[in-house]
Amino acid sequence: MAGEQLALTVLMGVLLVGIVALVSRYGDLRSYTPLAGGAGYGGETSHGHSEKPAGLIRWFTTVDHKDIGILYGLYGTIAFLWGGAAVMLMRVELAAPGFDVMQAQFYNSLLTSHGITMLFLFGTPIIAAFSNYFVPLLIGADDMAFPRINAIAFWLLPPAAVLIWAGFFTAPLTGNEIAPAQTSWTMYTPLSAEQVNPGVDLMLLGLHLSGVSATMGAINFIATIFTERSEKVNWANLDIFSWTILTQSALILFAFPLLGSALVMLLLDRNFGTAFFAVDGGSPILWQHLFWFFGHPEVYILVLPPMGLVSWILPKFAGRKLFGFKFVVYSTLAIGVLSFGVWAHHMFSTGIDPRIRASFMAVSLAIAIPSAVKTFNWITTLWNGKIRLTAPMLFCIGFISNFVIGGITGVFLAAIPVDLVLHDTYYVVGHFHYVVMGMIAFAGFGAIYYWYPIVTGKMYQRTLAKWHFWLSMVGTNITFFAFLLLGYLGMPRRYATYNFDAAIAPLAEVTSLHQIATVGAFILMIGQLIWLWNLVSSYYEGPTVEDGDPWNLKEDGMFGREFQWFEAQLARADGGEVEDEELVTDGGRIVNENLTAAVRRVADDDE
Amino acid sequence: MEQRADTDTGGGVETPKKMSPWPLFVAVGLAVAEVGIVMEGLYPVAVAGLLLFVGSVAGIVHEAGYVARPWKLLGALGALLVLAGVGVLYSQVGTDLLSALASDSVVVVRGYAILGAGVIAVFGGFAGRFVVDADPSVPE
Ligand code: HEM
Ligand SMILES: [Cu+2]
Repeated sequence: MAGEQLALTVLMGVLLVGIVALVSRYGDLRSYTPLAGGAGYGGETSHGHSEKPAGLIRWFTTVDHKDIGILYGLYGTIAFLWGGAAVMLMRVELAAPGFDVMQAQFYNSLLTSHGITMLFLFGTPIIAAFSNYFVPLLIGADDMAFPRINAIAFWLLPPAAVLIWAGFFTAPLTGNEIAPAQTSWTMYTPLSAEQVNPGVDLMLLGLHLSGVSATMGAINFIATIFTERSEKVNWANLDIFSWTILTQSALILFAFPLLGSALVMLLLDRNFGTAFFAVDGGSPILWQHLFWFFGHPEVYILVLPPMGLVSWILPKFAGRKLFGFKFVVYSTLAIGVLSFGVWAHHMFSTGIDPRIRASFMAVSLAIAIPSAVKTFNWITTLWNGKIRLTAPMLFCIGFISNFVIGGITGVFLAAIPVDLVLHDTYYVVGHFHYVVMGMIAFAGFGAIYYWYPIVTGKMYQRTLAKWHFWLSMVGTNITFFAFLLLGYLGMPRRYATYNFDAAIAPLAEVTSLHQIATVGAFILMIGQLIWLWNLVSSYYEGPTVEDGDPWNLKEDGMFGREFQWFEAQLARADGGEVEDEELVTDGGRIVNENLTAAVRRVADDDE
Repeated sequence: MEQRADTDTGGGVETPKKMSPWPLFVAVGLAVAEVGIVMEGLYPVAVAGLLLFVGSVAGIVHEAGYVARPWKLLGALGALLVLAGVGVLYSQVGTDLLSALASDSVVVVRGYAILGAGVIAVFGGFAGRFVVDADPSVPE
């Protein structure tokens, strides 16, 4: 024991000395001169290069919002692949009723890792990728209000992921002494408080760090949108995506610190002998209240910005400005407020007072109203539009279609009598996967394709992108519609086996539906592999975008602020001068038409 | 990536420096400190993590220009850690802090780890002020 401690101390001492040595070389980095600049990252012009070092050091030290956006994007993608791999193993296991591929413990670990990874390590960061890169461009700011805090917020995430996934690496090393957590993403007590496995502590710590990261980011966005807007951007013409990021940040500010406190309480229960969630102390139900007071707003933290992305991108390819812009903003704010009043719809079956339960039902049903306002506004924007079915547009339309199913199944669940039947069945899993995969991921893909030219300077391969869309759309609907049906049949969620008594569910039908869902998941997976291949290969080999308007948006007066910035960058790289341009939010006029390049490398997409 | 992503609109005005070595260390420091404090038997890790954390916070605040020199802040953060460490000890043994020396509770050891990190940081603050800053060969 003492020897171990000594070794650890020496190790940490070496680490610290190494860090001091590294940072003391920072003096050299700082004296990095403009003349020596340029090489190492593109190196074509000398413009603005005095500010960043070359190579890997640049990525470890950057405080530029665009670089940090790219880092968030890479990080989110890695998490998406991890979470996807976990769920594919689970789907294979569920293709037959018994334990054929793995045991229950490993299944539970995968389930926990999949949920936590997708929500906290993929969902939240991938949104931050877009908002870091584009919110400053859309509001005409030079950078975030606190660029260093922005970088800290990002760098908290890799350690968070390492901790959350740690159990998978330590289990084989320690002979299952430190195993991956098996708590599910909701970490319900007393289960999570009583499992002795230190892997659970590691996961809770990682989760806590990811919450600190989200909170720091949110404060930064609020400060940025309030104080860093250019004079031309006021509240009336603030773009819809920034509005949703502002609302999301406010939700994060109220929700995540609460999760952080609840996690600390759980850690104290586990390690410091407190009794917040013990049956004879606070109570396990206390955990559920705290968790869902965070957890329900979290689902809107995840879905509002994708709604903003769709509200921003869809009009571009409908050739009309967003119908009822003001009401889309109001509905965003309304959802933000209401989402704090519905948390107990996750707890209808815990035996809370029926009158309180009914009021939660009423507020939950009320959220459907602003959601419907958005849906009808998107549909009305499409109405009579000049629709161009580019990949970003296809993903926007798929998003709306999936939201119809995801939202309506939510309304059903919000009705107490229905919920009491369907609670803890696959129906719930189907409901929220229509939302998280069918909407959040879809909007993310649409935005990646839409902004790919700006971020990489290249164009993606359009045929592959369409394959990606159709495989995703078909895969999502096969998989998650099968889930809804499984729920109706009574298949409970979170089970590694369904070799059960026919009194629970009809085995033959359940087996077929699981097999259908597994096939759907493989279709989905193939689509995502195509996506990955497309993005990587196009980055290296795709055609260079030479036109500041790769989507031909000027024609319809839909040329947004971020592409104006892009055009100005291109013109500058050519040594040209750029005139100042009028700001457009959702399709105002643009003044400067004369920069349109003669050759459109990436013209109108084929319909 | 593309060079155009490196420049900023800023109307031709050079925007502030786009790099800082500190954020990475602030984040890693916080992560290491949390793990060290919560996980049993990792107390040296807790000390190192806390030191890394308060050290890089002092560094980043100094770099951002909020303080002229980092040392006072480092000492102050160290003092906070001392208070926190004493608080943990107090929660275990009450006012008779000396009896903590005899205790073998894991919570007490955690308290000592936090206290120890605080003492080192306070010491570092003094060293910075009176040794580093007093040395004329060290540039501002
Ligand atoms: C249209 C508004 C919505 C309503 C009325 C609604 C309603 C509900 C209800 C009542 C439940 C609890 C079901 C049960 O456990 O028995 C539920 C679960 C869930 N919903 Fe929704 N929902 C809506 C939108 C959303 C959105 C936008 C998201 C995601 C971004 C989402 C994600 C979830 C998740 C993750 C769960 C399952 C939580 C768990 O138990 O693990 N929902 N929803
Ligand atoms: Cu909810």
